[in-house]
Amino acid sequence: MRFNQSKIQSIIKHEYTTRIKSKGFIISTILGPVGFFVLIGIIALSSYLSVSETPVKHIAVIDYSQKYGSEIVTLDTINLFLSNESEENLREKVLKQELDGYLLIPEAIIDSGTVYLFTGGGGGIALQSSIKNNVSYIVRNHRLKIAGLDQSIINTIDTEVKVDSRKVTKTGERKEFTEVYAVIGYILGISIYILMFTYGGIVQRSVIEEKANRIIEVIASSVRPFEILMGKVIGVGALGLTQILIWIVVFGLGFYIAAPLLVEYFNPEMMQTTMINAPEIGNLSKDFEIPYISPWLFIALIFYFISGYFLYASIFAAIGSAVDQESDAAQLQAPISIFIVIPMLFISVVIINPDGVLSSILSLIPFFSPTLMVIRIAASEVPLWQILLSVVLMIGSFYGAIWMSAKIYRVGILIYGKKPSFKELFKWLRTA
Amino acid sequence: MALLEAQGLVKRFGDYSAVDKVSLSVESGKIFGLLGPNGAGKTTTIRMITNIIAPDEGKVYIFEEIAGPKHQEKIGYLPEERGLYKKIKVLEQLIYFGQLKGLSRNDAIHKARFWLKKLDAGDWENKKIQELSKGMQQKVQFISTIMHDPPLLILDEPFSGFDPVNTELLKQVILDLKKEGKAIMLSTHIMEQVEQLCDEICLINFGKVVLSGNVRDIKKSYGKDTIIIEYEGDGSIFNQLNNIQIINKSENRIEFRMNGDLTLIKGLQRDIFSTVLLYKYELSEPSLNEIFIDVVSKKEL
Repeated sequence: MRFNQSKIQSIIKHEYTTRIKSKGFIISTILGPVGFFVLIGIIALSSYLSVSETPVKHIAVIDYSQKYGSEIVTLDTINLFLSNESEENLREKVLKQELDGYLLIPEAIIDSGTVYLFTGGGGGIALQSSIKNNVSYIVRNHRLKIAGLDQSIINTIDTEVKVDSRKVTKTGERKEFTEVYAVIGYILGISIYILMFTYGGIVQRSVIEEKANRIIEVIASSVRPFEILMGKVIGVGALGLTQILIWIVVFGLGFYIAAPLLVEYFNPEMMQTTMINAPEIGNLSKDFEIPYISPWLFIALIFYFISGYFLYASIFAAIGSAVDQESDAAQLQAPISIFIVIPMLFISVVIINPDGVLSSILSLIPFFSPTLMVIRIAASEVPLWQILLSVVLMIGSFYGAIWMSAKIYRVGILIYGKKPSFKELFKWLRTA
Repeated sequence: MALLEAQGLVKRFGDYSAVDKVSLSVESGKIFGLLGPNGAGKTTTIRMITNIIAPDEGKVYIFEEIAGPKHQEKIGYLPEERGLYKKIKVLEQLIYFGQLKGLSRNDAIHKARFWLKKLDAGDWENKKIQELSKGMQQKVQFISTIMHDPPLLILDEPFSGFDPVNTELLKQVILDLKKEGKAIMLSTHIMEQVEQLCDEICLINFGKVVLSGNVRDIKKSYGKDTIIIEYEGDGSIFNQLNNIQIINKSENRIEFRMNGDLTLIKGLQRDIFSTVLLYKYELSEPSLNEIFIDVVSKKEL
C-alpha cells in the first residue's frame, strides 16, 4: 500500500488544530484534574462513610451464661444491650420491627464458641463481623485464662503487629510505599481508562459528524478511506497526548516543587502517628521520603494510552461509520461494553493482588491491558516477560483493529438510512 | 481518447445491479449531461469514476490511464448531498479541502481568495459556515470543488439552492470553465439547464444506458412533431384531436405530440384560429424533458 503522506498530514493537522483551539479542549484540560480529584474524593468519602456511619442496630442480648453477655455488650454498647425478656417476646418485637434482632448466648459458650443471632433481615455483614470479632475476643481471652495464662501475657498477645515493608533495589533498600503505589496505580489506571474512551469517543463523533453532514463524500473523493481514518485517529490521539503531557508537566513540576516543602512543613512524626500506632517513631522521621516514581511508569502510561487508544478509537470509528447518528452508535456498541466494564470490575482485584494469576491473565488481554497493566506496573514489580508479551499483544491487536475498522469504514461511510447489525458489519469485512 | 473514458462499468450490491455495463466518455471543452431518474445509478457511476468505490467490472480511464487514487486530484467533484464543517471558518475550510486535493497551503489560500472574490463572496472569509445562508454555503462548496483547477469537473445538481441571479452567475462560471477546456460532467433533473448547457448526454435507467449522444442529434431524431398552443377561449376544440399524445394541458395552454403525423392538425388549423384567440402556435422538436419522460416511462412498461 502506498500512502499519500502529505494528505494524511493535512488531515492530522486539521483534526488537531481545529480541536486544540476549541473551548472544549481548554476547559477539559483545566477541569479534568479537578473533576478527577472530586471523583476520587467522593469514592474515598463514601467508603469512609460506609465504615463510620453504619446505622445503629438494636440487638437485645439474652445471656444464658449469666456472665459473658455483659462482657460482650461492653465491647459494643452502641448496638447491643442486655435483656431479661423471653425469647418469644423478643421474637414478637423483631416481627413488629421494634427491635432489629436478638443475640442468644448459650451457657457453654466458651466450649462451643457459638452464639445465635436472630434478625428480621440479616442485619448486614458489618454487624455480623463486629459481633463475631467481639465474641471471639471474649471467648479467646477466657480460654487462655482457663489454660492458665496470666492476664499480662494475654495483653501482650493482643498487641497489634505492623509490617515495615522495604523495597530492595540495586542501590540498597528504600522505604516501601505499597499503599502509595497502589493509589498511584489506581489514579493512573482510571485516568488512562477515562482518556482512552473520551478520545475514542471524539473520533467516533468526528466520523459520525462527517457522515451526517455529508462531508465524507467530498473527502473520500480526494483521499483514500484508510488515510482518512488514520489521519483522524492520529490527529485526535495527538490531541490526547498533548493533554496528558500538559498534565504530566504541570503535576510533575508541582510535585517536585511542592514535595520538599511538604516535608519541611508537615511534621513527619505527626503524619506517621496518625497513620500507624507505632512505637519506633524516632526511626520513621529519618526515613520519611518522597515515594520514588520510576520514569518507566510514565513511558508505560504513554505506551498503553497510545496503543489502547488506537485499539478502541479504530473500533469506535468503525461503529461510527456504520450509523447515521450518535444515538444509533450506542446500540451497536452494546456488545463492546463488556470490554469497557470488565477492567472496572477487576480493578480492585488487581490493586489488592497485583501479582496474582487472575491479575496477570487479565492484564495481558489487550482490551484490558491499558488500565490493568498500568496499575500492576505502578503497584508492583511486573516480570519483564509479561510486559514484553503485553507490548507485543497490544501492538498486534491495534494493527488488527485498524485493519478491520478500515474495511468497515470504507463501506460504512457511504451507506445511509439503515442501521446495520453486527452480522452485517462482518459481511462488510469480507466484501471490502 | 477522451479525457474521461468509462468502459462497461458494473457495480452490484448483493443480487442487485446498481450499475450495469455503463460506458461513457467526456471530452475536454465539452459539457456532458448524466441524466436519469432517482435511483437510476448515477451516483454509483460517479463514485466509481471518482474512485470512491471500486467497480466490480469495467474500467475508468482518465488521461488514458487507469484511474486510481492519484487521479483524484484531477477531479473536482460536487456531490448532490452537500456538506461542510459547520463550525469552521470559510477560508480555513477551503484551505483544508484544497490541501486534500494536493494544493500547498499558500496556493490554497491564494485560490480560495481568488474564487471567493470572483463569486462575490470576498467578505465571508472569516465567517463560520453555520452563519451563512444555504445559497452562500453552496457557493463555498462550489469553490471547494473547482479551486484546485481540475481538468475534470463532476457537478451533481450544481444549481440547487441558488436563486435565479446566482444560478446565472454559476452558469457563466461553468461556461467559462468549459471555454478553458475543462471536461465537465453535469448531473441534473432540470432539463432546461441540460438543453442550455450540455453538448452530450447519457440517460441512465435501472443502471443501464438507455439513451446517449449529442443533444441536438437526439432531439432531431425525435422529429419536429411537438405542438404548443397558447390561447384564450373555449378549448373544447382540442378534444377533436385524437391519436395525439398530450404532454401538458392547462386552461390556456396545450402541448402535445402528433406522433409523426402532422396531417390531422393541418385539417384543424382553420377551426382553431376561428374559435380561440391565439397567443402562440409553435411546431417544434420535443423538449429534453419530454424525451426523458418518454424514454424512462417506456422502459418501465
